[in-house]
Amino acid sequence: MRPSPRIVAALAVLPLALTACGGGGSSGPSAAPSVADASADNRAVKSGGTLNVALNADPDALDPSTSTTLVGREVFANMCEKLYDIDAASELVPQLAAALPEVSEDGKEVTIKLRDGVKFNDGTPFDAEAVKKSLDRHRTWEKSSRQADLEAISEVEVVDAATVKLTLKRAFTPLTAQLADRAGMIMSPKALDGAGDNFGASPVCVGPFKFSARTSGSQIVLDKAPDYYDAAKVKLDKLVYKIIVDPNVRAANLKSGDVQVADQLATTTVAGVQADPNLKVVSGGGLGYYGLQINVGNATGSTEKAGPVDSPLAKSPELREAFELALDREQINKTVYNGLHEVDCFPVPVDSAYRTPDLQCPKRDLAKAKQLVQASGVPTPVPVKLTSPNDATNQRLAQVVQQMTKEAGFAVTVETAEFVSTLEQGKSGDFQAMLSGWSGRVDPDGNLTNLVTSQGSNNFAGMADPGIDEPIKQAAATQDTAERAELYSKAMKRAAELRGVVYLYHNKYYLGMSKNVAGVQYFKDGLPRFATAGFVA
Amino acid sequence: MVWFILRRCGSAVIVLFVASVLIFLGVRALPGDPAVVMAGEEASPAVVEAIRHEFGLDKPLPAQYVDYVAQTLSGNLGRSTQDQIPVADILAERLPVTLELSALAMLVAIVVGVGSGIVASVRRGKLADYVATGFGLAGLSVPHFWLGLLGILLFAVTLRWLPASGYVPFTEDPGQNLQRMLLPALVLGTGFAAILMRQTRSAMLGALSADYVRTARSKGLAEAKVVGAHALRNSLTTVVTVLGLQLGALISGAVVTEQIFVIPGFGKLTVDAVLTRNYPVIQAVVLVTVIGYVVVNLLVDIAYAYLNPRIRLSGGGHG
Repeated sequence: MRPSPRIVAALAVLPLALTACGGGGSSGPSAAPSVADASADNRAVKSGGTLNVALNADPDALDPSTSTTLVGREVFANMCEKLYDIDAASELVPQLAAALPEVSEDGKEVTIKLRDGVKFNDGTPFDAEAVKKSLDRHRTWEKSSRQADLEAISEVEVVDAATVKLTLKRAFTPLTAQLADRAGMIMSPKALDGAGDNFGASPVCVGPFKFSARTSGSQIVLDKAPDYYDAAKVKLDKLVYKIIVDPNVRAANLKSGDVQVADQLATTTVAGVQADPNLKVVSGGGLGYYGLQINVGNATGSTEKAGPVDSPLAKSPELREAFELALDREQINKTVYNGLHEVDCFPVPVDSAYRTPDLQCPKRDLAKAKQLVQASGVPTPVPVKLTSPNDATNQRLAQVVQQMTKEAGFAVTVETAEFVSTLEQGKSGDFQAMLSGWSGRVDPDGNLTNLVTSQGSNNFAGMADPGIDEPIKQAAATQDTAERAELYSKAMKRAAELRGVVYLYHNKYYLGMSKNVAGVQYFKDGLPRFATAGFVA
Repeated sequence: MVWFILRRCGSAVIVLFVASVLIFLGVRALPGDPAVVMAGEEASPAVVEAIRHEFGLDKPLPAQYVDYVAQTLSGNLGRSTQDQIPVADILAERLPVTLELSALAMLVAIVVGVGSGIVASVRRGKLADYVATGFGLAGLSVPHFWLGLLGILLFAVTLRWLPASGYVPFTEDPGQNLQRMLLPALVLGTGFAAILMRQTRSAMLGALSADYVRTARSKGLAEAKVVGAHALRNSLTTVVTVLGLQLGALISGAVVTEQIFVIPGFGKLTVDAVLTRNYPVIQAVVLVTVIGYVVVNLLVDIAYAYLNPRIRLSGGGHG
């Protein structure tokens, strides 16, 4: 077998030629693109049509009591309304409730008036009995992931058909925000009686669209709901969610017109979608965060009592400070994410009303970092094992961290594992440092209590400090926003000294859309709402 | 022949039993707790415990295995832990999709691979041979996901001839179905066409220089008949073996192809199930795959016996 040189040459060039026509998405580090606000787009839309929406992952069971995925919430946002919702400014507004809750002086009694004339998507009436049934399922069913959200409630009482009274064990201000998420979704009692634990296979709620069909791992179809109380404002006939995991394929489907909306564009594909004359990109999100957990006290599991951990970083606060000072957050954002995320060093969103202006982030200070390493007396290079999920982006982040800290005298070795395995390592404390994030909640309590207070189930770092725990606990029982902001800032400052978590940025979400789609609402929670969406007239 | 088939079936049952134990233990040896995955990011230990109990994961392994076998034998494959849909329904939905994809890819592989293999062997050392072997080299080296992405970019985004991805059932719209299957089948078929081409070529080269071919030629038989009836038929045993062996590779290739083209098939199901530690689905998927392998191997053995009577005869007595 003697292939002619000419053929060999042709074959050698082929991949290059093909790559060129593929046109990679990343065009090097660039400034964050100016991305329009989705809710600013109020062009008139016509009635009818099917909107195909690409989701980046397959949602878990569509049961509000057990659901745990962000993509699941994306689907719920269009078929399962909640007692409360958030608006474009992340303010809480009533949805199935008629008004914001009335809270008693001591904060232990919460009265909720319900919206009138509402029907579930199976035609049955929505009333206080239904609300009680759902809330009780959320908070008491042993498999419910909402138990912690509603833990403060001791009793749900039906006052009359349009009023529910919640009795609390203690004052708990974040409750309204919990009721603006899955814990506040009300399920049809008839459907619950029929399906029981398998409600998620054919969910029925109140919403602009109703569940029609699901092909496991492939697509979820929702139809316009004729029983919806505000059906006149709903324009689309059908929503089809297509699960397209690969970010390049998601972008390609958008460009080819096979889908008209694609959620969570990868930062590497945003520029390519923006450059397409038929497409636009809107941004949302920013409630969550991403960062580095440093195991300071998680010796036997995040829900157990903190204990000593044997690693240089765990033992020396100075080394942790040096580690953070060696990192350049702006540079990380540019190199790894094309500058598309929002750099920060605290868990609560930058523009939140719950943080005081004196929260400032340290800049990279290599000289000080080196000094601290030296002062610690630990022989250099200081070994650090960094656990990272095994996808390309996380690995890139891990490498950048490795490079930056190397200059200060650390020797980071990166250990990659599947996401599920890293989750388990985090919970059990089987790590020194780990890349990990949080999807974020509207109320600051949701970004803190479970994550940085002692024995919180997601307190991977194993922090246990009264200077963190106490203010967070007090804030949850306080109603005044400014007072709460003071308390949260106090806790976050203490946490920043301990450095169980080195926060890097708030993750923004980018929604790719066809230019002939309007009326989509896309807020900080990153859930595209299609109730008023449609094709431009 | 009947005894031969029966003997093969008997060993298949043993293979299935051993496989079921291995699957069961293998799934549980994976790091990562399915209950933690299901409970999600805000899981409390109590919820995780409740989920473990629900799926019987809190029982000792032997008890779990007995439950699993009893359930499986009674035809109950359980419910997917990911979306609560019964596993049997999922399989019924997914399996035909991958079978169609594999069949189409196989068709591409046979037509292109065997065809070009014959041409390459007959035109040995000529341009056609180089083109075919060049194609074989490229087909083997290019990874599926890359070829798939390029295909999407070229045919869906740039030329807009084909849809980018997705699946429409054949029963719903045959035209749309084939349109959407075309690119994945080509991508998946390319690698196998390359393997088949190389195997066919070398088997044919051997056969073409054999004595019986010289005899056939010397008695004045038409060249087409020499190549088709004599050389090709004798080369087919090799090709059939490779075909059977490659069927397994086809399924693993389908995993990647299905991910890229978003085809709700068996391969995609497998990957998704492993990534979410969806025990009931992983177990069912692997079991079905093992059954598939066993059946295919059985068919290959029978096809052998058909193509080559010597195997049938020696297989009957001892051994």
